[in-house]
Amino acid sequence: MFRYPSLEECPLDEEEDGFQALGEEDEDIDQFNDDTFGAGAVDDDWQEAHERLAELEEKPTGSGQQAAPSSEDAEVLGEPEDALAERLTRLVIESELEDPAIMRAVHTRGPGAQTMALTSSIWDGPSEMPSVSVLDYALPQRPPQAREEERDPSERALPRRSSSPIIGSPPVRAVPIGTPPKQAAMPNFNQQILCPKPVHIRATMQQRYPAPYGERMSPNQLCNVPNSSLLGHPFPTSVSPVLTHLQRAQLLGGAQAGRISPSQFARVPGLVGSPLPSVNPKLLQGRVGQMMAPTGGFRAFFGAGPAPPSQPQPPPGPVPHLQGLRPQPFRPDTTHLHPQHRRLLHQRQQQNRNQHRGLNGSVGDRGGHRGSHQEQVRKDPYANLMLQREKDWVSKIQMMQLQSTDPYLDDYYYQNYFQKLEKLSATDEVHRDGPKKERTKLITPQVAKLEHTYKPVQFEGSLGKLTVSSVNNPRKMIDAVVTSRGEDDETKEKQVRDKRRQTLVTIEKTYSLLLDVEDYERRYLLSLEGERPALMSERKQKICNMYDNLRGKAPGQERPSDDHFMQIMCIRKGKRLVARILPFLSPEQAADVLLATARNLPFLIKKDAQDEVLPCLLRPFSHVLYHLPLGTVTSLVQQLTNLPQSAAAPAATNLHLAAVLQNKFGLSLLYLVLSRGEELQSTDGGAELMQDNQWTELMLLATRELLRVPPAALPKPVPPPSNLFSLFSRYIDQQKLNLLQTKLQ
Amino acid sequence: MNYMPGTASLIQDIDKKHLVLLRDGRTLIGFLRSIDQFANLVLHQTVERIHVGKKYGDIPRGIFVVRGENVVLLGEIDLEKESDTLLQQVSIEEILEEQRVELQAKQESEKLKVQALKERGLAVPRADTLDEY
Repeated sequence: MFRYPSLEECPLDEEEDGFQALGEEDEDIDQFNDDTFGAGAVDDDWQEAHERLAELEEKPTGSGQQAAPSSEDAEVLGEPEDALAERLTRLVIESELEDPAIMRAVHTRGPGAQTMALTSSIWDGPSEMPSVSVLDYALPQRPPQAREEERDPSERALPRRSSSPIIGSPPVRAVPIGTPPKQAAMPNFNQQILCPKPVHIRATMQQRYPAPYGERMSPNQLCNVPNSSLLGHPFPTSVSPVLTHLQRAQLLGGAQAGRISPSQFARVPGLVGSPLPSVNPKLLQGRVGQMMAPTGGFRAFFGAGPAPPSQPQPPPGPVPHLQGLRPQPFRPDTTHLHPQHRRLLHQRQQQNRNQHRGLNGSVGDRGGHRGSHQEQVRKDPYANLMLQREKDWVSKIQMMQLQSTDPYLDDYYYQNYFQKLEKLSATDEVHRDGPKKERTKLITPQVAKLEHTYKPVQFEGSLGKLTVSSVNNPRKMIDAVVTSRGEDDETKEKQVRDKRRQTLVTIEKTYSLLLDVEDYERRYLLSLEGERPALMSERKQKICNMYDNLRGKAPGQERPSDDHFMQIMCIRKGKRLVARILPFLSPEQAADVLLATARNLPFLIKKDAQDEVLPCLLRPFSHVLYHLPLGTVTSLVQQLTNLPQSAAAPAATNLHLAAVLQNKFGLSLLYLVLSRGEELQSTDGGAELMQDNQWTELMLLATRELLRVPPAALPKPVPPPSNLFSLFSRYIDQQKLNLLQTKLQ
Repeated sequence: MNYMPGTASLIQDIDKKHLVLLRDGRTLIGFLRSIDQFANLVLHQTVERIHVGKKYGDIPRGIFVVRGENVVLLGEIDLEKESDTLLQQVSIEEILEEQRVELQAKQESEKLKVQALKERGLAVPRADTLDEY
């Protein structure tokens, strides 16, 4: 369908206008045929018959209309050589017009214009092929003689098609446009050269037999047609220069490609070298196609540097020389090659001989690509087969997998491993100033992955949803709506039913908060200067949340009950959680936690009998203690000794304190608190008298309790702080102190 | 030295001569022409090298496309050092014969081993079927 518009939009001459209708009709028929038979569905027999007919017709009429690939045609046209050159230059300009339709329209002008246009159409192909470069490379490689047979039929046939408006009908064009899918991506010219071939041929046919024959052929068939028709037809040996160049280029390309498959070589030399008077048409037809096809892949080298055939040619030397230089006991490599291939390789070796200075590796044994590496890369015609674009694509794909906003989250183990490595190498460097060992480092993408949420397109009033699923947005299997019951009654119900589960949930939530908070230090380091305040306040907020979770503080309630906290502390994970959270809390918050613990220590000790994880709290507690003022420490001891109760029954056994003393954690905590308090007491001389008295009283109480507890009941492995006995010595006499000392040892 | 993740690190090895060891034990030597993210490889001017003792032989294989999963290891061949090897190159026929002989000897010894084990009443260790290539 797209052909119609293209026809219309092209700058048509008056002439063209007249033919437009015809062209469209042609196209219709073409389309119809293709639809019916499918591309390439037609029999060879009638095809050949067509060709024969076509040839007959070609001779008289074709020359007049077409731009001459053959000199014969050129003569008929009366075009001088310089005209051809001019044509070429114009071709270059013109090929910039990417629209084939436009090109086609141009062709249909006068005979002179035609030739130019058609020449260009050889090159313009379906894609934006830089015809300039093709010509550049093609021209210098003009062979001494080229035969019509050798030539790509496309060149020959093309002009006719384009010159005749009827023929110039869209369908013809359409074939190449659609054919090579990858053209745009590839800088390979040959493919493009190849592709138009069918088109041209077809055009020829159409011209001759407008309706019945031409359009019936599928592109595939068309490919074959020209060749046979060509061959049946005696062409003159001399060809117009322009075409020769092009032809030459193609042939070279073909030869190049031939390297891939030795079998193809069989024909090449004959083609290139001498006028091929009688090549089997069928063979040739097959050959040309084959040879041209693979060439595409290697065109890069054509454009990139010296072509193999015309490679930098040092004075060719004798083959034996080469062999003599490289003492290899055995060189079986070429044995498997086709004789022709081998011969070709030999020739190439000779050409390359001087370039292989190293001569290490068996040069030329297998295509002569074993020189030293640089050399090899430089002259390797197959190098860069993988385009930069493709390489980039591969690296991009690999990089994409490493993209992440948070490498710690996505690739925790690698990150840590790498940190370890770096630390290791850092210490290595410090320890010995030897040769710095360079460690390979993985390149990771610097771009953070963009998190995009997928919003399915929704049309108003439509029932279904349009979804595009991808790796990032997998298709939703089910779109269930979560109906949440009333928050209040549910939580209440739950609380009653299982408070423990609720507590577990709280612990989990607090843990994730904790992890977040722990992450902030890293994020802070990574963040920009400007983002830091925001991060800090965020962190503060999260710490507050953690504390609230811990204490179960309900809004409006000034002093939360210890209940919630005790629930958490009854669970092993909760205890560890508290130990981890404490360092982040503010002194007041930490003190609150500490006091709550002290207040309920006997209960906690009882609950901890199995777990025995309370000791893990000692360390954070001691850290906290060192930031507490005397007042708080005093009240802590008060809580530990449960003074309010003891006040009621001072003389009676203090169950609370006894329980604390008989536990490892409790005793350690008491020691810690006492020694810290004593430190504060001794350093802080200006303490208030009342506080001082209170402290002394507490101290006495604790000592008394300590003395009363039977030695066996005291947990053994707790080492008392060093200053403890000097501390006690201030409150008890020597005898009791000795007693205490032996008891505690 | 920095390297790219995954097979992207192979990109800098493209167009260099490589030795590829396949999962089935074959050794290929050729020019690495193209790779993709799966480490699928295209080798050009490939030879399959068979080593037997101190001898080796090359069987030309042309263009070789290797599915990535079959690559055991892959390394560039130093063209400078390639020629100074102690190994001796022999013809394909010869190396194939050598290989056959070696295989036969191996099977013989295996058979003997099995027999000896049987005589001692020991179970024959099950041959790893994967080793048969």
